[in-house]
Amino acid sequence: MRNVGIIGVGYTPVFVSKRKDVNIPEMISEAVDAAFRNTKLTPDDIDAITFGNMQTFEGVNMPHLWAADHMRALDKPYMRIATGGTTGMSTLHSAYYHVASGLHDVVMAITWEKQSEGDSQVGLSGIVMPEAMVMVQHGMDLFGGKGMGAMGGGSTGAAAYQAMSYLHHSGADPEHIDKMAALERSNAALNPYAHLRKKTTVADIQATPFVSWPLRFGHTCPTSDGATVAIVASEEMVEKLADSVAWINGVGCATSDPATVNFIEGQITDPAEQEPARMASSKAYAMAGIKDPSKEIDMAEMYNGFAHQSLMWLEKLGLCKEGEAHKMLDAGALNIDGELPTNASGGVFSTNAIGASAMNRPTECALQIMRKIEGGHQIPKKIKNAVSHGWGGMFQYVTVTVLGDEPRHGQG
Amino acid sequence: MTFEMGEETREVQGTWDISTYKYLIDGAGMKLLVDSMKEKKIRGIKCPQCETVYVPGPTFCRKCYIDIDEVVEIGETGVVMSYAVEMADVRGNPLEEFRLTAMIKLDGADTWIIGTISGMDWHDARIGMRVKAFWVDEPVGSLADIDRFEAI
Ligand SMILES: [Zn+2]
Repeated sequence: MRNVGIIGVGYTPVFVSKRKDVNIPEMISEAVDAAFRNTKLTPDDIDAITFGNMQTFEGVNMPHLWAADHMRALDKPYMRIATGGTTGMSTLHSAYYHVASGLHDVVMAITWEKQSEGDSQVGLSGIVMPEAMVMVQHGMDLFGGKGMGAMGGGSTGAAAYQAMSYLHHSGADPEHIDKMAALERSNAALNPYAHLRKKTTVADIQATPFVSWPLRFGHTCPTSDGATVAIVASEEMVEKLADSVAWINGVGCATSDPATVNFIEGQITDPAEQEPARMASSKAYAMAGIKDPSKEIDMAEMYNGFAHQSLMWLEKLGLCKEGEAHKMLDAGALNIDGELPTNASGGVFSTNAIGASAMNRPTECALQIMRKIEGGHQIPKKIKNAVSHGWGGMFQYVTVTVLGDEPRHGQG
Repeated sequence: MTFEMGEETREVQGTWDISTYKYLIDGAGMKLLVDSMKEKKIRGIKCPQCETVYVPGPTFCRKCYIDIDEVVEIGETGVVMSYAVEMADVRGNPLEEFRLTAMIKLDGADTWIIGTISGMDWHDARIGMRVKAFWVDEPVGSLADIDRFEAI
């Protein structure tokens, strides 16, 4: 396969709760235009387009097709990707496959969500509806919480089981979740493309109510409107077209059986086990020639709808030993100027336009590598290798992208 | 010529009625479970190859990808694998009464079910804690036949 790099990124000017001034295609086209502006490319330079957002969240089908002109997609190969929380990174991976395969040279990956136009709880319900229907049909009191069943609290409820299991197995305290939350929100305050941009203390987080113990309201992500576009190119086109590049050196994805509310067939997986994270990251590291990620990775962008997850993922992705992530947090290693800056962007936890959320992880890494970060969260040290991560599905689907300042390869 | 752009786009309300969808569900393992619950028993399905016991049972092993149909009875006691305390509803409104729910691995099963644990202060809940199912007086073959779990 040939070398492929991200040569440019475009964001909507802001990620906020409600963009009332633009509709869906208008909003996405802002990020498309920004990507063209930042790369000095034109639609004629693009060979194919991939497009991703969540299913049903806005209650619209085939948004890529009715917005085709806004996406500058006319007369081009064009496909939509929808893998759940991982959609953004799957859309980037698809663009990568297009180019790595040799079929196309320059591909644009478009990802977005405009949550204010939809209802994320309805979108999430659509995922579990057949399960919920069968449970109710067989007498389960879904939200009343009698006896067997009960899944109140929506995704926060399910995440709380994961958080508790993580705390138990890692030896971390609930206060470590507060501390990670405060760190990421404070990072977000430096990032002009973050949604919740307020310098936040541990006390601020601890002042928020619990939703589902051990998770507080201050541990959960917002719902955002925004879009992110990345343009990827083959090595040959990088040389012709780009003034800077971050190389996609390794990709991986994997699934286990559903690790939440798999009631019909019996759940066999601990929601905090996350074996797919190991599988996907091992594959991506091997491809990128990384032997010891805990030594060779310079920064991490983890997908964290909930604040405990950044810590959990660092362990699952081999960036530290099990039970060590919260100690790294305590030692300051996860700070922007630390040994392993983690979610310098503020993470999904501070900005969640879902379809774009797993794209914003690798685009943040790319811009950090290119040293093109806008705002105050540029990591001071040189970034040779960065790892980005996406998560979703039924708590069981993981994507990983390893980026670098040079093309690097192993036996992947 | 230029257009006058408004400050805000127009908004129209829409609804999408998912209650009109018809979900077809293969409930063989679920039927086995609720039928056994009518007798205050819990039954699952075991894979003869890897010996994984599923409750409710699927009709194939999710590890070996082979069809399975060996019915096994499992215990009404088990261990808490993880737990949470619901303090707000799905829309974030605080609940008047907190609810301790747990992922429970019943003795003899490899799968985890979710159950409500009553009769204890949630602060005392622990992963690894042993619990027992308590049945309603007159089970009807429903998931509601288990009234609650309690710590033992
Ligand atoms: Zn088996």
